[in-house]
Amino acid sequence: MTQTWVVEPAHWSAKTQATLYGAASLLGLLFLWIAATSIFGWIDPRVLPSPFEIALRFADLLVDPFGGATLLGHVLGSLKRWGLGVVTAAILGVPVGVLFAWAPLFRAVVNPVFEILRYIPPFAWVPIAILWFGASTMTQAMVVFIAAFPAIVINSQLGVQQVEKILLDAARVYGAGSLRTLRRVVMPVAAPTIYTGIRIAVSNGWMALVGAELIVGKNGLGFLISQGQNNDSVSTIFVGIISIGILGLLIDTIVQRSEKILLPWRGRLDQAGGI
Amino acid sequence: MRRSMVSRAFLISLVAGVGWVLLWAWLTRAGGPVPKLFFPSPEEVFDRFLKMWTRPYLGSTLLGHISSSLSIVLAGWVLAGIVGVPLGIAMAWWRKLKWIAFPVFQLIRPVPPLAWIPLTLVWMGIGDAARITVVFIAALVPWMMNSMQSVYSVDKLLIDAGRTLGANDRQILSRVVCRTALPTLVAGARIALGNAWTTLIAAELLAATAGLGYVALNASRMLDTDVLLVAMLLIGILGALLSIMMQLATRFLAPWSIRQSRGQ
Repeated sequence: MTQTWVVEPAHWSAKTQATLYGAASLLGLLFLWIAATSIFGWIDPRVLPSPFEIALRFADLLVDPFGGATLLGHVLGSLKRWGLGVVTAAILGVPVGVLFAWAPLFRAVVNPVFEILRYIPPFAWVPIAILWFGASTMTQAMVVFIAAFPAIVINSQLGVQQVEKILLDAARVYGAGSLRTLRRVVMPVAAPTIYTGIRIAVSNGWMALVGAELIVGKNGLGFLISQGQNNDSVSTIFVGIISIGILGLLIDTIVQRSEKILLPWRGRLDQAGGI
Repeated sequence: MRRSMVSRAFLISLVAGVGWVLLWAWLTRAGGPVPKLFFPSPEEVFDRFLKMWTRPYLGSTLLGHISSSLSIVLAGWVLAGIVGVPLGIAMAWWRKLKWIAFPVFQLIRPVPPLAWIPLTLVWMGIGDAARITVVFIAALVPWMMNSMQSVYSVDKLLIDAGRTLGANDRQILSRVVCRTALPTLVAGARIALGNAWTTLIAAELLAATAGLGYVALNASRMLDTDVLLVAMLLIGILGALLSIMMQLATRFLAPWSIRQSRGQ
């Protein structure tokens, strides 16, 4: 613990060191990539293009349409379908989850179907969605919905089950109606768990959308990648992969951040020792 | 009291399950409101399921497609374990290795594994290698993360205590280290297998010459809805079986972890 190194003075915290090592590792990798492609030409650019080529292709795709739209057009197309699926899943999933928690009979009746469908991966729905809706927005939105729905239902159920019965009784004693109880007692307790479900649903949905667009579609980031594959343009594939990663990260960050704004009491509850 | 409620719910579920199948049969009956092209009836699906065991569909029988899917999932999953577990343990052991390797994983993690499929296809062509690679990528992260976490979960105080009480290295490994580390490791294996299965289905939809995903997509193109449903249900059932298998493995390898989680 007390030993000092020349390269890393003891007054540097572990966090700084970790950042430095991480940056060095990523830069090293980038340099290796540049060396292998642009400088020494060890790798055929058709197999692995250089970072510069990918950056150029990125700029290209921003202006020139490829596969029927510019990069922005594909991004917007993807976001539209993703939003449609996730919002529908949230609108239907939260009430179903609340019913699962409050109406055991309803849960017992619906559970067999729910459990069987839950075990079928979202992508396995793509072929039947194609059959029903063709290569339309509905096909992809349905796959997103199927990927997002179970997480919202299960977490809504868990969240509502967390509400202590004594709180409900207290609300009733003080004369609160069911709607008022739901809004003032149940939702504040259940909302953080429901929100966790939505967060899982959002990223599951994004992943499912990419898969669905790869298989069928006329625009979107997944479609851009599959077009790149058909045209043997590896740099287009890379632009697609990077855009999908960045957007996925961005969406998750936004959802995570907005939790603090939408549910400001959550942090306080956690500090008070949880619910 | 609680027990009888659970069994009552189970009974209702059972009856409801039969009810749902009857409703399905009624809706899809000959001349019913739902045409076969949209959704086949249960008996058509069951008939097709029985026939597919003996009569080849797209080059092989049902058993052939199932074994094709399962063998690729297992290959990718095992390979990911062989790479991921030592890597995770090493990253937890030498923090410099973690500082170097972790950012690379952080960079790759937000990309869904299936986005790599077209790239592997360009690099390796349509074949088992491409699919195994994609499954490998999907399974690697849970294997690695949980191996790393399992090392962190071992309490140094417990090792010291064991040593003070006269335990030798072998006893420390089996009684202290494995006890705390195994549940996390097995959980990682389970998540990895689930991811692997989901990703494989997507890979088979995109590029395969056999397997259940391949059958499903082609059935959809040829409007064989009964075949499509057989494939979908089998994908679901096999996924459930894999998950149950891993739960049994947890019970066998780390029975104390289940007792613990029940106690909480």
